[in-house]
Amino acid sequence: MSRLSLKKLKKQTEFYVFLIIIALAVFIQIRSGLFFTNNNLVDLLRSMIVPSIYALCALLAFVSTGPDVSFPLIAALSSYLATDIATKMNYKGPVVFVFLIGMFFGMLMGALNGFIIVKYKFPSLIVTLGTSTIFSGILLGAFEAERMDLPESMARFGKQSLLTVVNAKSGLGSTLPMTFIILIILYVIAYLILNFTMVGRGVYALGGDEISAERAGFNVKAIRFGVFVVNGGIAAIGGLCYSIMSMRYLPTEFAGGEMIVIAAVILGGTRMTGGVGTLKGCLLGTLLLTMVSNSLILIGVAVSWQKVFIGAIIIIGTAISALQSRSGAIIKKKIKKEAA
Amino acid sequence: MNRTGKKIDDNILRLLVVLVVFVLIACTTKTSMFMQVGNFQSIGKQLAEYGLMALGVGICMISGGIDLSTVYIANLCGIVSGLMMQRLIPQGEENSGIVILAMLTAIVIGALCGAFNGFLISKLNIPAMLATLGTYQLYMGIAVVISGGSTVSGLPKGYTALGTTLVGGIPLAFLVFLVAAIVLSFIMSKTKFGTRVYLVGTNEKSAVFAGIKKNSTLIRTYMISGVISAIAGLVSLARINSAKADFGSSYTMQCILIVVLGGVNPNGGFGSIPGVAIAVVILQVLSSYLNMFPDISNYFRDLIWGVALIAVLIINFVINKRKTARLAKLS
Amino acid sequence: MAENILSVKGIKKSFGGVHALKGVDLVIKKGETHCLAGENGCGKSTIIKVISGFYKPDEGSIEVDGKGYPVMTPAEAIRAGIQVIYQDFSIFPNLTVIENLAFNQVLANKKKVVNRKEFRRIAEEAVKKINFEVDLDALVETLPVADKQLIAISRALLDNAKLIIMDEPTTALTKKEIERLFEIIADLKKNGVTILFVSHKLDEVFELSDSITILRNGENVISCATSEMTEEKFAYYMTGRQFEKHEKVVNKRNDEVVLEVKELSAPGFEDVSFQLHKGEILGITGQLGSGRTELSLALFGLLKTTSGTITMNGKEVSISSVQAAQKLGIALVPEDRLTEGLFLPQSIIRNITVTKLDQLAKKAGIINTKTLEEESAKWVADIGVATKDHSLPVQTLSGGNQQKVVLARWLANNPDVLILNGPTVGVDIGAKHDIHKLLRELAKKGMAIIVVSDDAAEVIETCDNVIAMQGGKVTGFLSGEDLNTYSLAAMNV
Repeated sequence: MSRLSLKKLKKQTEFYVFLIIIALAVFIQIRSGLFFTNNNLVDLLRSMIVPSIYALCALLAFVSTGPDVSFPLIAALSSYLATDIATKMNYKGPVVFVFLIGMFFGMLMGALNGFIIVKYKFPSLIVTLGTSTIFSGILLGAFEAERMDLPESMARFGKQSLLTVVNAKSGLGSTLPMTFIILIILYVIAYLILNFTMVGRGVYALGGDEISAERAGFNVKAIRFGVFVVNGGIAAIGGLCYSIMSMRYLPTEFAGGEMIVIAAVILGGTRMTGGVGTLKGCLLGTLLLTMVSNSLILIGVAVSWQKVFIGAIIIIGTAISALQSRSGAIIKKKIKKEAA
Repeated sequence: MNRTGKKIDDNILRLLVVLVVFVLIACTTKTSMFMQVGNFQSIGKQLAEYGLMALGVGICMISGGIDLSTVYIANLCGIVSGLMMQRLIPQGEENSGIVILAMLTAIVIGALCGAFNGFLISKLNIPAMLATLGTYQLYMGIAVVISGGSTVSGLPKGYTALGTTLVGGIPLAFLVFLVAAIVLSFIMSKTKFGTRVYLVGTNEKSAVFAGIKKNSTLIRTYMISGVISAIAGLVSLARINSAKADFGSSYTMQCILIVVLGGVNPNGGFGSIPGVAIAVVILQVLSSYLNMFPDISNYFRDLIWGVALIAVLIINFVINKRKTARLAKLS
Repeated sequence: MAENILSVKGIKKSFGGVHALKGVDLVIKKGETHCLAGENGCGKSTIIKVISGFYKPDEGSIEVDGKGYPVMTPAEAIRAGIQVIYQDFSIFPNLTVIENLAFNQVLANKKKVVNRKEFRRIAEEAVKKINFEVDLDALVETLPVADKQLIAISRALLDNAKLIIMDEPTTALTKKEIERLFEIIADLKKNGVTILFVSHKLDEVFELSDSITILRNGENVISCATSEMTEEKFAYYMTGRQFEKHEKVVNKRNDEVVLEVKELSAPGFEDVSFQLHKGEILGITGQLGSGRTELSLALFGLLKTTSGTITMNGKEVSISSVQAAQKLGIALVPEDRLTEGLFLPQSIIRNITVTKLDQLAKKAGIINTKTLEEESAKWVADIGVATKDHSLPVQTLSGGNQQKVVLARWLANNPDVLILNGPTVGVDIGAKHDIHKLLRELAKKGMAIIVVSDDAAEVIETCDNVIAMQGGKVTGFLSGEDLNTYSLAAMNV
């Protein structure tokens, strides 16, 4: 749609994140010589899988409505249910079935979010905060979920690998799990839907101007509800991928992941006020934060500094985009004033 | 009595009724366990930490923002003053001068952390949610670095005794909470600063045009939240005799829940501190009550709180709808 | 073939007991340009929403091109050839021009998949209709307002619009853009498109329309050809009140200079100089983009000046913040009451006393609720805010009364210089009259007043002297006899 030109590129936040990533990579490489090694790159990809899946949830929510903080607990509860059912059934067949069960429950929970947000127009942050707490109560209170070993079908899937590399020098090996394919499939589907279907364009349209979207003929309520249902499904996939990759289910490991994911998505150029955000940005933002947390140790920074760095990056990144949008906001304000 | 005053009273009245009903239910169904001085004392002790933080989150939300960093400010302050006491006072000795110095340091750090939040939000225009999301990582990170990621413990007895001190049968921690709630209520309802916080929370731009120093008002608001968090950190340091960088991470969400339950408008501009304080007590009574059923897992509290939050939102929605309908007819 | 493109009869509509429309008729002939006028709250927007199918009327009939529509829906209205161009243009700022142009049609055809080529074809076809040149791939938020409006118009034409309804189309446009819009409207008319436009700007109504319908309180007042209407009648029909023409008394010149601005520049205007005397009402007028608003902001400490001096009562001052301006005795009633002036859901008390908290507070910043209530009550009475209870939210007031609240807030500070930006925008004629009267009284008592406005009639009626601005520069100074419609028009105002 938009013809690529440097001028246009310069206007995109994604472009700057990309530059920072390159600079950081080169810096780490120079300092340690270990960045562009096959096992480090594979490790990086591996660590990106689950946050990138969650990033889709955050993106869809921000573009259409506002923050969604419920995806970690939807992931926890739906993957618990799927894992538990598969275990009880002693299920040994293809793992797809387990994913379908998880998605079913995830979408059900997403539907609850969507219903409350669409019907009452409450801020999505507060609603999803409330439902997260409910899901957490159901998971740990009603089901008394505990650590679980994976059923055979999931364990088998987890043991398969897409790619295994061994660093010739250090002898360290890294594997890229099959869940990476799931990530690719999700992003391809998301790309096609967001860019080539009217529903996908509707997600952006309603985030840009809800009233205009309604007048143009988009079914605003259905689209918004749909976004939260889909988010539930994606969260479930993310949760199952996480369990599969760690080869066990641990109910307490999910909560708290939402903030980093949201930060990654915002760093990637998604606008908190809606209507703007790309898949490219999601991946770049996630990559940047994953690099920081994975690679600090390579340049000799103690692991204990990790949070400080991540915090600083979030603050600097959002400050830059806030200052950028302030100049944007002044223009907007003027236009609004003029239109009033 | 004017209408705005009356509206706040309505909300507080509702919360009080809920509180009384819960206490009555608890007293009648679990008489022997609930109706004990010890039980009420432990209720008072337990609510102080997150209760204090909720007050801080409450004023930030009234100012049109949110503070996600309170828990980590509390932990950072707890760690710093804990380390000071641990290093400066030889094992087994007591030195109240250093204890007080350590406490003051904690409060100064809390104020600085809060002021930094306020700076990011007002001067740099970063949305409050994102700014405090970043600083919570930052403060937690600093706490990890300072403490080396381990638990700070081994505090002088004189200080940890404060955690169990009773003043006239009332836990000291609860008194701290009560005083903070009263002082904040006064600030918010009876000072020009408080009034300005409400106005900035209603419409920042109009506030600027009306001659309110928006930036300084916001910075002071977040500073207060930081100071209260520091106090919460000190209370928890005394109670559990230790501090850790990632202690109480679930408090963040809990605080937001309490604040909304207490009637603060998530969009800013409306809400009252007494409402938040009562909501804190309600939740602690409820969870203490639930603790008395050995069959019911602790985690059920989460379920109930989440349902309560959504229910309160919907109830407020319906009430407000009626009210606007009435106002529309009036005008 | 019917003679009338639209014939609406006896429309009634009420919302929760409030009768918004009490049996309104609206008949529009094919090919004419029809003006719908009336004060705020007269039912203009409600009748438009009924015609375009967004509201279902309680009673009444709608006929489009001779065909009756017992139930009108938005989709039905579009199929019948009715298109509404709203004040916000119904656009998506975050998307490209192409998508903004193509969405409606693609959605109307119930297509589910995005075909980029088709999108572009639709967009090209749309812009061709009015020879509108624009980068189709640009994001709409990067375009000027006039382009956004043209996007809305060309989009409307795509659907074979027979009747285009424009809701106050000129509000956000500069003089040049308005001229271009009028040309386009004339072209559309030539091509047989009927236009219904909503406006309360006198000059526009008389220049553009063939016939006029005026509504008041949800009822028809008059429908007639524009040629049968005069300006006096127009005001009378709108308000139902006769206004005596204000006898313009040129104030005796008081030589005491309160405020002097010399060669002042800031982003938006440059090299502005003027003197403001005690008891003078100075008008600063110009079209959108002339720098008038920026000048008022600079005098109130909200815009940094780059060069030049400001002198207050003989002393050179720098106004770096609103607080500094306030201390110097300068007050500003901002342009946009709703987003810059008021705290809508807060009480009238808080809205009035906000600027005086420092003075009303006791030691340590403590305030007594009673003091605030008394102060507020005094102003509500003094300035005549129509309300039963000043503890009600200010949003329950009408536009005029809301404006009085903002005025009261600043008068409470007893300023030496009172700046009003667009003092009567969105205020009905009655309240407008009251506000003008109040300004003259204040000036008589010695207050120096600056009225920033693009409303020529207002400037002529209230101001002693007028500075005309264009493109950020002062283009003229008018006073006394020289100040009239023609001289202002000559200055391109």
